[in-house]
Amino acid sequence: MIEFRGVNKWFGALNVLKDITLSVEPREVVVVCGPSGSGKSTLIRCINGLEAIKDGDLLVDSQRLGDPATNMTQLRTEIGFVFQSFNLYPHKTALENVTLAPIHVRKIPRAEAEKAGRELLAKVGLADKVNAYPAQLSGGQQQRVAIARSLGMRPKIMLFDEPTSALDPEMISEVLDVMVAVAEEGMTMMVVTHEMGFARKVAQRVVFMDAGAIVESGNPNEFFSHPKTDRSRAFLSKILRH
Amino acid sequence: MIWQQLQSLAGSYPLALRGLGMTVVLSLISLVLGTLLGFGLGILRTGGNRLIGSAIGAWIDLIRGTPFLVQIFLIFFILPEFGVELDAFTAGVIALTNLAACFICEIVAAGIRSVPTGQVEAALASGLSRWQRLRQVVLPQAMRIVLPPLVGQYVLLIKDSSVVSAIGLTDLTRVGWLVVQRVPNGLLVFFLVGVGYFMVCYPLIMLARRLERRMGAVHGEVQL
Repeated sequence: MIEFRGVNKWFGALNVLKDITLSVEPREVVVVCGPSGSGKSTLIRCINGLEAIKDGDLLVDSQRLGDPATNMTQLRTEIGFVFQSFNLYPHKTALENVTLAPIHVRKIPRAEAEKAGRELLAKVGLADKVNAYPAQLSGGQQQRVAIARSLGMRPKIMLFDEPTSALDPEMISEVLDVMVAVAEEGMTMMVVTHEMGFARKVAQRVVFMDAGAIVESGNPNEFFSHPKTDRSRAFLSKILRH
Repeated sequence: MIWQQLQSLAGSYPLALRGLGMTVVLSLISLVLGTLLGFGLGILRTGGNRLIGSAIGAWIDLIRGTPFLVQIFLIFFILPEFGVELDAFTAGVIALTNLAACFICEIVAAGIRSVPTGQVEAALASGLSRWQRLRQVVLPQAMRIVLPPLVGQYVLLIKDSSVVSAIGLTDLTRVGWLVVQRVPNGLLVFFLVGVGYFMVCYPLIMLARRLERRMGAVHGEVQL
């Protein structure tokens, strides 16, 4: 579904992605973790073209990114993206946030899109917030609307860029619960997160990145209990300590 | 003597009305055209094309860096040298539209730049086209920033329209010049001219203030 083959990327002189080779199968859930600045956000932002890659090949849904034959706007409709800072449209209600792209991009009739939007908002536990504006919602609620917004396009892939990092601790689980439900429905997912409970519960694989390279990857239980490299051990000891 | 002057002024009432009408019509046409053009230029300026962006920037610098009177003279007196004959009204509309477009372009561009990158990224990620991103996500948010200074700019442009009297258009200011030749009381005549402009501008000033207050309410007023 997603395939990186020797992908490199630079920000100026900084090699932010170093020779990344990684393949994600359909229905697979992959958690990406690593210290800040290790390139994990950049990695998943490349998948929907928010960042361009410098060399190597990146195939998404059998289409090669950067290829003139690939319609990026079209491809993006197949990829849901959830941001750390939610990025809900502040001038639109929760329902309008969810229905905007289905109505304008998928050309679904408004009534039908609103029905689907209400169902999605109910699914993320926000049936009573349909007409609320983002500013009237808590962080956890905003992030759940953002997930519903991405699901509204019925994507083949969902990408999550630190979806719980900007949340108060008591709101993290309400967002993770929604993500677990999405994973259990068989969605292909790549999730940048340090939430090990989530990784153990639904991920088939954990990818550990450091300084732009994939250092280690493996089964979550194995990775968290028996990290193989010094760098992953040092990282895990830091996030496990508190 | 003041009584005689007032009577004579009362006789100039139709002329004054015509001048006021000219000022309003000229301003209205130029502001509508200038707003459309200004939004178009502002969108192009922030559209990501370096060449177009800097070409627009250079033109705006040129217009902002030269007096409006000079611009009007260039259009009205110099263009005919190159075979473009314009009547005074058309020349006035072109000059004022151009001036309005330049100022409004900068206001619109600033508004668009104030929309957080994350908003555009979210719209991109949902597969919205360039026009849809602009229409559905960026412009509605930019408008909240744009509206108060835009209305304020309208007031400045209406007052700038007085410069068209220099090429013989009978606007409110020129009516003042005409009347003062018959009624030699400059203070009184131009006081009334000022009242005329104020009547047109004051509602807009009030509107701008209301819009600004509404913005403040949305963002939370900061007490200094």
